Amino acid sequence: MRKLSADVVVVGGGATGSGVVRDCAMRGYKAILVERGDLGHGTSARFHGLLHSGGRYVVADPESGAECARENAILKRIHADAVEATGGFFFQIEGDDESFADKFIEGAKIAKLPYQEITAAELLKREPRCNPKATRVMEVEDGTIDGWQLVWGACRSAEAYGAQILTYHQVTGIDVVGGKVQSVRCLDRKSGEEVVIDTAYVINCSGPWAGQVAALAGCHDVNVVPGRGVMVAMSHRLVNSVVNRLVKPADGDIIVPVHTVCIIGTTDVKVEDPDNLELPRAEVQKMLDAGELMVPGFRESRAVHAWAGARPLIKDDRVDASDTRHMSRGMAILDHETRDGVGGILTIGGGKLTTYRLMAKNITDVMVEKLGDDRPCRTDQEPVPGSENGKNYQVSHRLHDREEDRLEDQIICECELMSRKMFTELLRANPDASFDDLRRQLRLGMGPCQGGFCSLRATGIACAEGGWSADKATAALRLFLKNRWIGLWPILHGDQLRQAALDSWMISGTLNVESLPASEEVVL
Amino acid sequence: MSQVIVIGAGLSGLVAAIKSAEGGQQVTLISKGLGGLQLSQGTIDIHEQGLAGLESPAPHPYAAIGAENVLAGVKYLAKLLGPEFLVGDAKKNVYLPTAVGAIRPTALIPPSMAAGSVRDGAKWLIVGLRRLKDFNASLIAGNLSRLELPGGGSLSARALTIDVVAREGEVDSSALTFARAFDTPDFRQRLVAAIKPELQPGEAVGLPAILGVKQHDFWRELQASLGCEVFEIPLPPPSVPGMRLNEALTAKAKALGVRFVLGSYVSGFTAAGGKLVSVTVATTGAPQEFKADKFIYAPGGFESGALAMDSHYEITEKVFGLPLHGVAPVEELILPDYWDEQPVFKVGVSVDKQMRPLDAAGKPVYANLHAIGGIIGGAIRWKEKSGEGIALGSAWAATEGSENV
Ligand SMILES: Cc1cc2nc3c(=O)[nH]c(=O)nc-3n(C[C@H](O)[C@H](O)[C@H](O)COP(=O)(O)OP(=O)(O)OC[C@H]3O[C@@H](n4cnc5c(N)ncnc54)[C@H](O)[C@@H]3O)c2cc1C
Ligand SMILES: Cc1cc2nc3c(=O)[nH]c(=O)nc-3n(C[C@H](O)[C@H](O)[C@H](O)COP(=O)(O)OP(=O)(O)OC[C@H]3O[C@@H](n4cnc5c(N)ncnc54)[C@H](O)[C@@H]3O)c2cc1C
Repeated sequence: MRKLSADVVVVGGGATGSGVVRDCAMRGYKAILVERGDLGHGTSARFHGLLHSGGRYVVADPESGAECARENAILKRIHADAVEATGGFFFQIEGDDESFADKFIEGAKIAKLPYQEITAAELLKREPRCNPKATRVMEVEDGTIDGWQLVWGACRSAEAYGAQILTYHQVTGIDVVGGKVQSVRCLDRKSGEEVVIDTAYVINCSGPWAGQVAALAGCHDVNVVPGRGVMVAMSHRLVNSVVNRLVKPADGDIIVPVHTVCIIGTTDVKVEDPDNLELPRAEVQKMLDAGELMVPGFRESRAVHAWAGARPLIKDDRVDASDTRHMSRGMAILDHETRDGVGGILTIGGGKLTTYRLMAKNITDVMVEKLGDDRPCRTDQEPVPGSENGKNYQVSHRLHDREEDRLEDQIICECELMSRKMFTELLRANPDASFDDLRRQLRLGMGPCQGGFCSLRATGIACAEGGWSADKATAALRLFLKNRWIGLWPILHGDQLRQAALDSWMISGTLNVESLPASEEVVL
Repeated sequence: MSQVIVIGAGLSGLVAAIKSAEGGQQVTLISKGLGGLQLSQGTIDIHEQGLAGLESPAPHPYAAIGAENVLAGVKYLAKLLGPEFLVGDAKKNVYLPTAVGAIRPTALIPPSMAAGSVRDGAKWLIVGLRRLKDFNASLIAGNLSRLELPGGGSLSARALTIDVVAREGEVDSSALTFARAFDTPDFRQRLVAAIKPELQPGEAVGLPAILGVKQHDFWRELQASLGCEVFEIPLPPPSVPGMRLNEALTAKAKALGVRFVLGSYVSGFTAAGGKLVSVTVATTGAPQEFKADKFIYAPGGFESGALAMDSHYEITEKVFGLPLHGVAPVEELILPDYWDEQPVFKVGVSVDKQMRPLDAAGKPVYANLHAIGGIIGGAIRWKEKSGEGIALGSAWAATEGSENV
């Protein structure tokens, strides 16, 4: 057993938890974040990649739109390296409800949302693949946000302020003594060791799993209603700006260009278990139809990958809906002291990745107030490590880097222009990482070949330079291929099916990977 | 003289073209690109189960082709190319190491791979090149050492990574770049100098398959200089051993007067009276029509785009719209577990003894259209290691016998 202590333990290493641990650390608390998987492994790895301008909300909830607009500007600054400032458009297609465009303008004015109405001709000049039947168009400041870069940036910042980040640590118990939280028990899933963290405060940021974590402290019936949404990435940027339909929010009405791909999403289906999210072909089909409407030819363009996330919405009868600080903008903060009589634990749910910093501020404010401290939030004032120069990335950034080092370094993943050095450095810093963990930061295997070529190289390097045994490296390879397939099979058709055939010729035909003896090592 | 059109320049198309030309026919080979040979492992697979695999029941392609035709086709190729290109016994598999350190069964092999046939107690030094990213000696040696060999026993493999430069100033060289560097004696000397001091008595040396393209007997020279056995291990594409086969076959075909129409995609056809009359090639300007008495269609399968599934999961054969076997709802064709066999890759045409695609009633679609190689459904060729066997057996069956001439 390992013993640690902290002022506050943050549960969950998604966007919200990362924001909270950073905020707590910056306010001078000794904070520890525990995450059962890798950072950005839950919903924050299964979202749409949109840095909201606020346009999506201005009609139904202008204040929410205003929040997005403010946070959008802040994130572009403090997470400069996680944002591509693509800009975005909301556009109508012949036959859409015209009055919605007027409502948009009304809402945008209330929300003070930067926008501009432009002509359809201008839209088609900037985004030539959009439906030529476009009518009214609003230009907004939507952008693209790399959730993993954001989460890692926030956590590195927290570490710089003395926080500890423990990944692959699953909370298994929260000890409550005399009505107050006393310690948090975790399982270190890599070593199998139990870890006990003495603490007086827990902030539960476990998203769709928030109900399960709260229950560990004896706080029951936290009603998380996971709403599953599917997304499909297409292998090219069919658009270079975010394009939204200018209609009442519906399924599949946004296409977001993210790095080398563009992503269409999403749906919203109530589900029971956030650990078991299906990717139904019917929903993939819905996305393809919706894409076709915005960008003719979308359907038969090449889809590379799909995934599903669960919105961590909390519906709680015991929080007064008029208590706007605790229950606003779709974000809910539960104070378990008043709700369940358990002191020293707060739960947060809902919200958006775009407003993660604000959510973190709000919940940390609640803790600070309850502790009777006076420590103001400063998270909007300082860029996270790596974003100091304030420059947003561009889709071509890696091409630029590879042009620079092409004579000194190898390209291990051609699709995503990942160099050998990028891979070996991250591997050295995270010797226990799985290839999926490395992928989330490096985009290994995320391009058109989906690991066909690069996975063998990564396996070899892990063996030669990471000091892994061939046994372990092979187990990691097999897991990686298996996991990539999770997001492949539901969209396989067209060119991606053709790619899968080529990949099989290599992985199975030439290499005969499946014949290797099962590993003695378990890779998480 | 009768006219034959072969569509596709993979192993089956090239062999069918050569055999038809040898039989005195006038052959035109039309192909959009180069075939899968240059992407392949460069050996001749028949079946992982050896001869038993040849007896696979229908709808496996071997049921229509027949074991004797497979063996005849393989023998034909071996004779055509000679022992400088292929050695071995079609009736007996050997097991060779792969670039991940697994072993795989295959039938005929280039002589440069022969010393890599696994055997109990073998001692190997696997040599990787720092600048060749597709071959990692530590991984290969590590996996090979933990394997139990097919006949029992094990081998021991050590890894050595050396830095021998193929092209000055380049750290990311392809297998082909290395293979071409073998033409310079200086490169070969540097390679030997880097390996020799590390070599232990009794060891054989395994290298990536880069030992020359045009001239490819450098392995003999290396054996002499190192004083030990040397063998090549195939890499993912681009495949140097595959290129050697491709170049040799293309040269044979040209020497026999086969006319190559490359970079040309067959996009249409005309038919009359149950026979194909011509195929159409889309070229800039006017589409071009090619007439023939006999058509041999060797376009590959899903990997080449000859079979395709659209976004509504409809599978079609792209040129003739041939009836397909194995079609089912997508839920039954593409399965959620990566390690499951994916039935979609068994979809393809079914053929009669002369390799003519059949319709639902079991009748040839066109009396003079033959389909060979990967377009024939019924097998997951990469899994059972039957790609070349199907290609050669069907090429033989489509060109052999009086009814086919
Ligand atoms: C389909 C979809 C699309 C979306 N698109 C967008 C978008 O485009 N833009 C936007 O701004 N927002 C978007 N959102 C919203 C956004 O993704 C989420 O609000 C945000 O990612 C939630 O982050 P989180 O940290 O609260 O939750 P999560 O990211 O889910 O983090 C919770 C973490 O807790 C961990 N955990 C669970 N149990 C335990 C335990 N016992 N011990 C330790 N750790 C545990 C989990 O592993 C997980 O990593 C989208 C959401 C969905 C579902
Ligand atoms: C903005 C954005 C852009 C993307 N762009 C691309 C792209 O260009 N190309 C591409 O290939 N992919 C892309 N993806 C998808 C990405 O590769 C992953 O498939 C997706 O993020 C799912 O999460 P994951 O990384 O954890 O991996 P997964 O593939 O889902 O699996 C990894 C591990 O997570 C476990 N797991 C699976 N589902 C869950 C769950 N619901 N909760 C907890 N654990 C689970 C698995 O068992 C496995 O251990 C993108 C994703 C996002 C959010």
